[in-house]
Parts: sequence; structure tokens; C-alpha cells
Amino acid sequence: MPSTASFAAAPARLPLPERLHTSVWRGHQMGRSVERALPSGFAALDAQLPGGGWPRRALSELLLPHPGLGEIRLLAPSLAATQRAGRLVMLFDPPAALSAWALMQMGLDPEQLLVIDTGTQGIPGVDGRPHEAGVDARLWALEQALHSGHVGAVLAWLPPRLRAERLRRLQVAAHAHDGPAFVLREMAVQQQASPAPLRLALRAGGADALSVRILKRRGPPLAHELLLELPPVLSASATRKARELAVQAVEAAGAAPPLRAATFVNLA
Amino acid sequence: MLWIGLHLPLLPLESFLATLPAGPGGSEPAVALVEAHRIVHANAGAQALGVKPGLKRATALALAPQLLIGQADALRDRQALTSVAHAALAFTPAVSFALPQGVLLEVEASLRYFGGHDALLQRLRDALRPLGHALHCEHWEALQGMGLNTLGDLRSLPRAGLTRRFGEALLVELDSALGRRPDPRASIELPASFDSALELFARADTTEQVLHGAQVLLARLVAWLAAQHAFVRRFSLQMKHEPRWRRDAGTPLHTTLEIALAEPSRDPKHLMALLRERLSQLALPAPTLELALRASDIARQPPPNTELFPTPRSEREGLTRLLERLQARLGRERVQRLVPVQDHRPECAGRMEAAALDGSPPARTGPPLRRADVLARRAVARPVWLLPQALPLAQRQSRPLLDGAALQLLAGPERIEAGWWDGDAVERDYFIAQQPDGALVWIYRARMPLSAQSEGEGWFLQGRFG
Repeated sequence: MPSTASFAAAPARLPLPERLHTSVWRGHQMGRSVERALPSGFAALDAQLPGGGWPRRALSELLLPHPGLGEIRLLAPSLAATQRAGRLVMLFDPPAALSAWALMQMGLDPEQLLVIDTGTQGIPGVDGRPHEAGVDARLWALEQALHSGHVGAVLAWLPPRLRAERLRRLQVAAHAHDGPAFVLREMAVQQQASPAPLRLALRAGGADALSVRILKRRGPPLAHELLLELPPVLSASATRKARELAVQAVEAAGAAPPLRAATFVNLA
Repeated sequence: MLWIGLHLPLLPLESFLATLPAGPGGSEPAVALVEAHRIVHANAGAQALGVKPGLKRATALALAPQLLIGQADALRDRQALTSVAHAALAFTPAVSFALPQGVLLEVEASLRYFGGHDALLQRLRDALRPLGHALHCEHWEALQGMGLNTLGDLRSLPRAGLTRRFGEALLVELDSALGRRPDPRASIELPASFDSALELFARADTTEQVLHGAQVLLARLVAWLAAQHAFVRRFSLQMKHEPRWRRDAGTPLHTTLEIALAEPSRDPKHLMALLRERLSQLALPAPTLELALRASDIARQPPPNTELFPTPRSEREGLTRLLERLQARLGRERVQRLVPVQDHRPECAGRMEAAALDGSPPARTGPPLRRADVLARRAVARPVWLLPQALPLAQRQSRPLLDGAALQLLAGPERIEAGWWDGDAVERDYFIAQQPDGALVWIYRARMPLSAQSEGEGWFLQGRFG
């Protein structure tokens, strides 16, 4: 058949799959998006994120074992950029009180920041699960904010053991939200499926450093962890002390000393 | 002069239908209204069952047992007609009643603005729909039967014969319409405040039922606002309860729900959403029999421009609405703003304040923050996360333990000695310490044994560096 022959003869003229649509890409390539991504402020991380930054109009899921790893320092550059563009940042149910001074040190403006406390954190539920009505109120408020499209950036601490369909609802609402939407969840859900197109697992990587593992992205899986140097809390001498202590600890454990002063280290 | 006459033959039925609870599906039940035990109005569903005006109530029930019978109520019809006139006032200032069931609009001057006759009629239809009314075209069947299709045909007939056949009234009406006879019409005036009531046909036990009734009242409010190009700032919904509910003398006779808006509005969807959120918070003491909506606090301002692309102004309005919704459901104090305070004690260095409704920064109290202050504070590290209450840490060989692992002190001490002036003195030495995985925490111990008496011995966890 002539048509088949011409089809077979001219495979080179077929459009490449990645040019067909932005949601089509090859397994070894990084996905693209129509929306401009928001740079995270960490070059090593931006290089591994599709579009070169935090996605807009989608959830970004951060899994962390406990608050206080450096997660705010990780997000602060992008949140500050949102505020400089004149848009509001909303925090939903932060796990502890926030220090306005510390936020100002990171370049954030407390006047452009709203904290929504749905007041449902302390309500105990049956068999350890969070109270359904409380979960409803928390997710309702978050969904309203995402759906309105008038908030610059959203940072939400989600209740534990959240069902996937509830997260999917949020992801759908996030389509209307022109900005990054970070949801912070507990580490235990990393084996569960999630509708968020970007999932990161965070853990402390030493003093003033954060180890980031990309669990899911629109692109090839990344085997190694990224070690990001956060804006330092410690002075230079204290940092030295921390490094020495780390070396001592490793030597005491009988392992080789870690690489020093590298922006990221392949731990795989 | 060009007039549009709104003739609403179904007005009594439509105003009665508004008092019914929401029915299943959209099907309209067979409804008839009685006055002095005789049917005076019957809707299409009832007429299909053979119920006609003039029948006795018992006869009608015998014909159609499922017939829903309501009492005709002139006051209710009058309120509904007033709202129709208010809705019409949005299109022309010259609106007058043609009682009992009509409203006349003089539209000559408005035709061009609204884009012609047909476009204006379409707008009228759209304006009346939320009130529960529809425009109908009615034919005078008797005249049609005589082959008289237009008013011209009627005029060409001998006047004496017409009077004999139809009575004096028809000629008087015809002459007034043609201007041969003076027909002064008083334009209606808007009342200064809005007050409309609705007696529900069945008692409302749930929020949904109350909301269904309130929907018509809100549509009337919106019509009243649109007539004067105004926006409502505050309105109240009063729910009159069934008296002596369960013979509890403590049950109040009515509950009033006050709703204040951050930004004046006349968007029925937004008003409805606010009402829904507030009503869902409210526990009503008894079933509701009657609803009344009142509003007098209005703002006359130019309508907002609709914009093709979002602008800072439209974004701010959207944000205000979002905050309004969140505050209506969660409570006003749940939407908070962080306010830094000039104090060295970590527990006093910031506080949470309820955010203003429009998302604008609050009026600052105390000395203004100078940029130099912020820069000076930049030199000393402060943790983002603060524990509401400093957590006492266990010790092993005078070294602090957190979660069973020893903390390594990396930086410190930084002494904070403040608060002696307000009786809440602290004398503490702060250290930055590291957990085994590298996460940094902020811990302190009392500086002197003396201050340790008030604060307690040993180490305390104050915050975490997030």
C-alpha cells in the first residue's frame, strides 16, 4: 500500500512526541509546562525541577519527618519573590507559632502574609484519625484560597493520613491558582500515590544544609539526593565546629569522611 | 411616549410558589389558591386536572386529591408586585402600578441605551426570573373570537355597540391608552429602606429550607438595590420561630442574623454564599415560620468596571471576598496576621492579630519599625518556629537531650535579659544546638540560680530553625 510505504519511508518528518503537546515528553527528558515556573532560589534544585523552578497551578508536595528542618528557608526565596510582585502569601495551619522577626530576616514581609488557623488541629478523632469535620474545614479553606486565584502563594500543612481523593480535589482547585501551592505532609505517605505532579522528601543534611530527594517529577527519576546549602543560621566558626563534629561522628562510626563544601553530593 | 405593560396574571400563584419548600426535581406541583372557600387561581398543573377558578374548595379536592391549596394573600401579592416594580426601576425612572397585577414602564428614553425594544424585553425577562416571575403573552380570547386581532380593529368598531357588549370600562381604558382621556400616572418611589417578609408555607426545620426561602428575599433586595444603583453594606435576616416550640418558654420568638460586608455588594451569589456560611454556623432554637429581610445601610457608588485581564484592583476585590468567606465560616479571629513587636523576649516578640477584612495591613501600634531595626536583628539568628511553651528537656551528664538523643551545642551563649519592667523578667542564656541529623534547635537555660527558681532548672527548648 502506498500510504504505508510513504509512512514507513518518512519517519523523520513525523513530529517529535515532545513537540506535540506540552504534557507529552519522553522518559529521559524533563517535562515542560506552558506556565513559567517560579525559580526556587537554589540553582542546584532548579536544574532538577521541570521548567526550572516550582510549578504554578499545581500542588508541590513536600514530605518531612518533623517541622524545623530548614523547610521555610528552602521556600523563603520563592515566597519573597511572590511578595515582591505585590501578591499575598497565605499559610494554612502552621504546626507552631511563627516568628515575625525570623521571617523578616529571610526577606519575607509579615504584612503580606496571612495565617489561616482553622482551629481544628487539636480536635481528636476516633481511632487516632483526625476528626472528619475538622479535616473538612481545613481543606475547605485551602480549596477556597486555591480556587479564588487571588492568592500569590499558598503553604499548607495538611492533616495526617489524608485520603488521595481529597488531595485530588485540591489539585483540581490548584488549576485556578497562578502561583506555587506547597502542601507539607508527613513522611509516612511517601509510598502512597499522590496527584501532585511534584513530590519532594526533605530531611536535614547536617547543620544549615537540607537533603532533598525528588520522589516524583515530570521527567526521569532522579536517583541521588540533592544536598542544598541553606542560608546559614550559624556563624562561620559555629559552622566549622558543626563540620568537625560531623567528621568526628562519622569517624567514630568507622566510615569515610563526607565530601566537603560540595553543593550537592551523589549519595546513591 | 412608549410604554411597556408588564401584566402578571400568575403573580398570586408565583408569589405563593416562592413560599413552598424546594420540591424534588424541577416539576411544579398542581397548585390552587382559595379565597372564601372558592378557587381563585389555579396553575397549569391544576387546570390539567380539571380545577378551574370558581370551583368550591371541596369540589377541587374531589377532582384532584393531590392538589396543593394555599390561601390567597393580597399583602403577599403586593410585596411581590413591589419587587417587580423595583426590578423595572433599573430600566426607567417612570414606573407605575397598574393594579392589581400589572406594572407600567415608560421606556421611550431608555430604548436606545438598552439596545432596542427586543433587547430591553430580554433584559426585563432576565431581571424578573430570579424573583420567580415570568413574562406571558395573553390574548383576549373573546375579542379574538370576534375576529378582532389588533387594537385598530377594535377602534374601527362603533363605540355604542362596544359599550353595550363589553361595558363602559373597555372604552375608558382604550381612550386612556390612546391619550383621548387624561390618564395621570404616579411614578412609584423607592422606600428608603428595604423590608420584605415571606411567610413560609411549611415550617423550615433545616438550614437548606431557610435558605430556599431567603433566596427570593435576596432577589428582591438585589432588585431594590439595582433600582437605585446602590450596594448593600449590611443586612439582617430575621427568622420568626414557631411559638411555644415544645412548650419551652425559653425559646425566643425570633432569631436575627446580622450580616456585614467588607465591600458593599449586590451580587446575589456572593450574598447567598455569605448567608449560607453564617447560617450553617447558627443553631436555630426552633423551626422557622416566617422570614424577613431588612437592609438600610447601603452605599451609592459607581458599579465596578468589569475587566478583561486581572488588575491589582480586581485582585484586591477578589481577595476581600475570599477573606470574607473564610471569616464567615471559620470565625473572624481565625484569619490572622503576624505582627512583630519590639521585644527581646521570644515569647513577646510577635503576636497574632485578626486580619482586616480587606487584607490591608493593620494600623500599627507602638513605635514604627525602622529598617535599621530589621537589619540589626539580622545579625542574630532567630528560629522561625517558636514553641508556645518552652519545653523542658531531659539531661544526661548536664547535656540536654531531645527525643532521647544528645544535642550538640554549636553557638552561644546569647544572653537575653529583659522584662524586669513588667514583672515578667527573663534571664536566659540561649544556645543553638544540633540534633544528630543536623536539624538546628534553639535552647536555653536560666542564667542564674536565682532566676532558675522562677523558670525552673535545666534546659528548655524554645524553637526550631525551619
